[in-house]
Formats: sequence, C-alpha cells, structure tokens
Amino acid sequence: MEVLEVIKRLLADILDMEVKDILPEAYIVRELGAESIDLLEMAVSLNAAFNIEVNDADIFLLRLRDHVTEAAENKTDVVRYLAERLPFLKRDRIADIVSDLEGGPTLKVKDLVSYVEWRRVNG
Amino acid sequence: MSRKVAITGIGICSSLGFSGEQIINNLKRGGVSFSRPSFDDHVVISPVNDFNIKSYTGSFKERRYLNRGSQFCVASAVDAIRSSGINKDLLSNAGLFMGTGPNLDIGGEFFEIQEGEMDRKDLMALWMLRFLPNTAASAIAMYAGIHGENLTVNTACAASVMAIGEAFRKIRCGYLDLALAGGGDSRLSRGGILAYKKANALYTGSGEADKAMRPFDSKRKGFVPGEGGAVFLLEEMDHAKRRGAEIYAEICGFGSSIDGHNMTAPEPSAAWAEKAVRAAISEAGVNPSDIDIVSSHGTGTQLNDEAEAHLLHRLFGANGPPVIAIKSWIGHGAAACGALELGISLICMCNNYWPEIRNLTDPCHMELNFVRMGRNIDARTILLENFGFGGQNGVLIIKGQ
Repeated sequence: MEVLEVIKRLLADILDMEVKDILPEAYIVRELGAESIDLLEMAVSLNAAFNIEVNDADIFLLRLRDHVTEAAENKTDVVRYLAERLPFLKRDRIADIVSDLEGGPTLKVKDLVSYVEWRRVNG
Repeated sequence: MSRKVAITGIGICSSLGFSGEQIINNLKRGGVSFSRPSFDDHVVISPVNDFNIKSYTGSFKERRYLNRGSQFCVASAVDAIRSSGINKDLLSNAGLFMGTGPNLDIGGEFFEIQEGEMDRKDLMALWMLRFLPNTAASAIAMYAGIHGENLTVNTACAASVMAIGEAFRKIRCGYLDLALAGGGDSRLSRGGILAYKKANALYTGSGEADKAMRPFDSKRKGFVPGEGGAVFLLEEMDHAKRRGAEIYAEICGFGSSIDGHNMTAPEPSAAWAEKAVRAAISEAGVNPSDIDIVSSHGTGTQLNDEAEAHLLHRLFGANGPPVIAIKSWIGHGAAACGALELGISLICMCNNYWPEIRNLTDPCHMELNFVRMGRNIDARTILLENFGFGGQNGVLIIKGQ
C-alpha cells in the first residue's frame, strides 16, 4: 500500500473518521480536529507501520513558530532557514506554510507523507 | 425540609435489552442470554449481545481508549441524557459519579507477554487509559460537557450502587442540583473469568447454561458473570418539576458500610451489611414494614445468599416483602450490578410487573417471601442491596411516584 493510503488509514483509525474524508490537502489540526494526544498516537502508529524513527517535533512541525522567530532574529531568509531544519519538506511547501501561519496550525496530511518518504530514504 | 432527589433519566445496556420495552418483554418471556464462552466450557456467562458503542456516540475518537466496561458507562450515559430531555447547557454544572471495575482482560490487551516484556510496536501511546478506572468519566464529561463535582468509585460489586448513593447525597445536601450516576463493567474476558474461577466464586459444571444461575436455591453453585451498564440522571425534585421533567422515581435513602472481615467472603451474620440497610431505611424516613419489594444482591454463591437470607429474615421476620434476584436474569454485572438492578427494578415498577427468581426450586430459607412466579405487584418502595468483594456494602431506598 502506498504511504498516503497507510497514513489515511491510521488517521481514520485515530480520529474515528472515514478514510474517504481524509484528503492530502486536509489540515490535521484545523480541519480534522486532531489534538496533542492524537499526534502522540500517530507517531507511535507511524513508527509501527513503517518501521521508522519518528521525531515528534519534526514531523508535526511543533517548533515551526520558534524557527520562524529565530530566522527573523538572525535576519536570515525564513524559507531557507526552515528548509535546513525541516529537510523533508520541499521549498514550495515551506513557502506555503510561511504564508499560512496566521490561519493556525499548518500541518497537512501530505506533510506526514513527505516525512515518511524522506525517512525511508534518509534513515 | 431536606431536598428530594428524583431520577429523571435512565440509560441501560443489559443482556435483556437496551430499552424498557425490550427488557420487560424479555422478563416476561424468559429471554435470557446465558451461554458458554468460546474459551471455557465449564463456566457460563451472560453477555450483552449486539452492543455497539458507536451507535450511541457517533464518531468519537476517544472511543479507542474505552475498555468494554467503560463503553457500557458511556453508552448508558448518552442514553440517560437523551431520555431525560435535559437541555445540555444545564449539564455544565452537573456532577458525575461512576462505579467501574478493573479491566481484567490482560490477555486480550497484551496477548504476547513473554518474560514480562509488554512492549510492542502496535501498542497505543495511551494504552494505560484502557486500564485507568476514571477513563469512562473522562469520556462522558467530554461528550456531555459536564464540569461539576465527581467521583469514580471502585468498591467492587458495590461500586455503582455507591456511586449513585454518593450522587444522591450531594444533591440532597445541596452541593449539586444535577448528577449523572451509575456504572458499567465487563469481566467476561479470559482474564476476568480466570480471576473469579480461581477465586472459586463462579458456577462451574456441565448442564444447561440457563439453569446455572440460581440465587437462594439450595443447589446454587456460584455466580454466572454478566456485563453491562446503567446510568441515571439524578435531579433535585423542584429543579426537575420546574423544567417539566418526567420523574421515574425518587431516591430517598442510602447506606454503606464495610465488613472488615475477609477479603472476599461476606461476614456470615451480615451484621455490617445490616448496618448499611438500616442506615438507608433511616435516611429514607421509613420503617422495614414500609418496604414493598427487595431487590436482593442474590449472587447464587453459598456464602452470599446464606448471609443475605439471615439479614432479610432479621429485618422483616416471617411476613416480609417479596424478594427478587435480578442476577438470576442477567448474571452478576460486577461493578455495574447495582446500576443494572436499579434500572431493571425501575422498569419493573413502571410496568407493575416483577419477575420470578429463576431456577429457585428449593429455597435456602423457608420464611422469606421469594418471588417464585412473575406477577403484578404494586410496589412503590424498593430496598436495593449490593454486597461486594472486600466486604463492601451499599443500599438504596427508592420510591415510585
């Protein structure tokens, strides 16, 4: 099964939703209603399903706003700064995230897919 | 004038059904669920069939943390709220009092423990919630928006009756106007069965499954474990009347005590159980002669029924009120038994019909008025008793309207 399908199934299980209602573009917190305990369960489930180490802070973008502040303090380009710290996300996705910060937690289903695929390659 | 406490909502998940209509019909036609579990053909169980928590809660992501007993608590609470017709905004200040049991399904939760190693990759991050006693309360509070005084009671088979009693006191004494109270439990797993089988408390033997549970019969051989849950909305009487609530009954008295005698067996004379009974009767402001019916604990164990029979005879003498034993219909609901038996008693009272004690052919006490055939009894004042492992005694007095 491809990574996206597995992730949709895991999220559906944890959030008690239908798989068909979980789309790659869905916001995991804002739209699907995940809370911190659900992210904790998701980390455990991803670890078991893909046999990868899951860093909660990285995959769930938990330090995103700290990094944005640090970039501003260091007067460096925020997209480049975030790309170094979140190497599993593509530059255009990071740019989207930066422009979307005011809307609330930016984490999307497709970000989890990016993390898992990156982990599988980079260990 | 002390405050009165009404029961204005009932939710029940039992092996006899999930509604008053199903339950009374099954009591009249003998529709019981006694059967043999797949993993042990020496014991008998009374499962709740066709139960699905999701049909009560809809999508509810905390569902995965609910063990089966907690699921019965949550489902019953949802139904109690629904049946009460209460405006959900009022529940914000309500109390929440749940009697729950331990999750003994160790083998089901950790099916490959080797040399004490429990960890495995598919274990949930918060697996412990399936073992914590207050997970049901937490889920109900989230679901219903409850934020008031609360308590999770773990006093073995007296747990739910004591939870209801404590809620009753909180309302009567003015700490609360509203409370959800009751409990749920299931110990029909391999671990649960093993626990009570080893303790020599279960019926074991061959023969017809529905003949195994026989409270107060001289051939009784131990209890048949059941499961389920029941939750009630308790409400200060004037509060209930003001909002035009349907009042099912009034709780008038509660008593509790602890034997201090043995870890599992009841104190044989039932002296301390009697203390709880007399406290409840006194609080209700009635006399033993005012009791119209007794919903006994009636487990079908040698020791319990013997002690309980002595107690009832001391209390009422030879011409006492009719005695029923609901466990002969649904098995022993463990922590949930008091709530289940209160729910079924209220359904019987509303229908003016009280069921016989099943399988009672040779009573262990000749001067007690055991109900031997289901019949119409106009019973308005109920004495309900539960006695649990650890010498836990809980008693309620309930009056019909």
